[in-house]
Amino acid sequence: MNRIRRIAAVWTCKLLIKIGKLAGKKGSSTPGIYALKIYPGILEDLSKQVKHEIIAVCGTNGKTTTNNLICSILEKKGYKVVCNKVGANMLPGVVTAFIDSADLFGNLHADYAAIEMDEASCVRIFPHFTPDIMVISNLFRDQLDRYGEIDITVDFLKKALALTKNTTLIINGDDPICATIGKDFNQKVITYGISEDLQIHLNETKEGQFCAYCGSRLAYDYYHYSQLGQYHCESCGFQRPAIDYEATQVDIQNGLKFTVNQKMRIAVDYRGFYNVYNILAALCTADCLHIDLSDINEILSDYKPQIGRMEKFDLGKPVILNLSKNPAGFNQGIFTVLSDTHTKDIIVMINDNAQDGKDISWIWDVDFEKLDNEKVHSLGFCGIRRYDVNVRFKYADFERKSSKVYDDLKSAIKDMIKKGGEVLYILVNYTAIFQAQDILKELEEEYRKGGLEI
Amino acid sequence: MKITIGHFYPDLLNLYGDRGNILAIKKRCEWRGIETEVKEFSIDDEVDFSGLDIVFLGGGSDREQLIVCKRLKEIQKDILDYVQDNGVILAVCGGYQLLGHYYQLEKEKIEGLSVLDIYTIAGQKRLIDNVILETDFGSVAGFENHGGRTYIGDHKPLGKVLYGNGNNGEDGQEGVLYRNVFGTYLHGPILPKNPNLTDELIARALTRKYGTAALSPLDDCIEIQAKEYIIERFLKEKS
Repeated sequence: MNRIRRIAAVWTCKLLIKIGKLAGKKGSSTPGIYALKIYPGILEDLSKQVKHEIIAVCGTNGKTTTNNLICSILEKKGYKVVCNKVGANMLPGVVTAFIDSADLFGNLHADYAAIEMDEASCVRIFPHFTPDIMVISNLFRDQLDRYGEIDITVDFLKKALALTKNTTLIINGDDPICATIGKDFNQKVITYGISEDLQIHLNETKEGQFCAYCGSRLAYDYYHYSQLGQYHCESCGFQRPAIDYEATQVDIQNGLKFTVNQKMRIAVDYRGFYNVYNILAALCTADCLHIDLSDINEILSDYKPQIGRMEKFDLGKPVILNLSKNPAGFNQGIFTVLSDTHTKDIIVMINDNAQDGKDISWIWDVDFEKLDNEKVHSLGFCGIRRYDVNVRFKYADFERKSSKVYDDLKSAIKDMIKKGGEVLYILVNYTAIFQAQDILKELEEEYRKGGLEI
Repeated sequence: MKITIGHFYPDLLNLYGDRGNILAIKKRCEWRGIETEVKEFSIDDEVDFSGLDIVFLGGGSDREQLIVCKRLKEIQKDILDYVQDNGVILAVCGGYQLLGHYYQLEKEKIEGLSVLDIYTIAGQKRLIDNVILETDFGSVAGFENHGGRTYIGDHKPLGKVLYGNGNNGEDGQEGVLYRNVFGTYLHGPILPKNPNLTDELIARALTRKYGTAALSPLDDCIEIQAKEYIIERFLKEKS
């Protein structure tokens, strides 16, 4: 009976995936919803067929990149991996990813599964399967109208972890909130972190500045960004844990270079300091799986960042699209924009659809004041909440050549590309990304054909 | 003229872009040539209320609010004196709840400062939505996100709810206005998009300090456009 339901669920789901693709839909949760209705045991059935380990990747920022890096390392080694690459990371999206990898009889021929998971969804996914390795990259404030507060997210994760057995937890030791989860976890914990002061100074609203155990203020020797850094509690002794995989000799000028545990030198042309953490997390996971990492730099340089992470387009001059969903991500985006020494114009596009979070107050926690920089020329504001972005920049109150509100992104790009900067940056939040990417691809095509009037 | 703003415990009470409120007061003073000073207080700092013209208390998580509450209890008398002396306070969300008698959580009761004759009880579902109010100072738009239901008794509310939940989702009222104390659940942050309210706070602080406050008009087109967008979108949705 279950076999029939399993096949029915697989067929339905696969058909819906096909229809979705034809309709140009990028998300992939709907097929999973139907599959679960037809056969609630589908995920348990399929996940059991994974030959080796199942890896789950969680955390506010960097989970898609980290998970895709892990997947890409494993695939380069010739393994077949189940992976929810497009980032549908709640229960139905995970179901869709597994069914997509299965054959029409519901048989999965996969060596590993690398699954990105929404923090609040773990507790709903783990009854179906628990991962052998779970990575938590960091916890920042994000979409607060959905989760309420960051303490609630931590509770969700702790409840999910309580369902696990024989799970190795890999955490970012530089994050005191992750460290707390690690300290309270009674199974194996592995840590990674950056063990030197990089002299990065950002004016940010920080989470978790107070010790989770005694409430005293945590003392920091240095911060990398947000609450990540070298910390300890002077009252109760809680401190940054011993780091198993530590990066030193970090160089963030022109790409990223750093040394892991004094022996492995990593050099990649990625943008964004936060990618040091994403790479560390992926290395840490791969090492746990006993994967040979001697050719890691080649593997990393072949990796293509997923859409909208400092993704470059050519419209006669470079246009760079970056997705950030929360203040920590946006601040890192701004930091990366400013590390680019070219002059630039910048479009900021903010939507408030359900997936973005209906509350956009967080734009006031972003240090947009940092864009008060001689290399920043003009600003353009777009998206559903463009007027709020306009207010935000009015109160940031710095000199610029011009700023303007645009009703749609296409006209914004066409107008802003004519401004004097050498590069055009487009900083967007979640639901804006697909639209932005489509428009940019279309304009890029027009430009190639010589038809783009600018 | 000079306004001194006391920002209470920004390292603990800093949810939902509340620092935008400080920025709004500061900029709107500066644009008029009124000098400002922002004093950020940490939890262990001594506070001299006599030097403050506007006090801002933001919102934090339940855990952080407990830490703040313990400390505020120690300086309760100073706060009460400041309020009786017509000191201006803007208290948002958690800060608003703390000004009442208590916040009854499922298992514990957080004692408040009893500056306001109000109390709060934890509700089942969080009230999360855009909010539009009608106040004595004109329309106000913001965003609410709170688990607590606040009951304000005989107090005058800050505004009437045109869209959203407000104090408790039942009585159509939002916030409290008592003397120069503005309590509200609205984030957004509340002040930047509502220059009418920001100016009211500034005017009251100046009047208390200098006996008069003639605020020169500013060009508020950008703020009003952002507020009107919210009003139009959500009131239309409702009707």
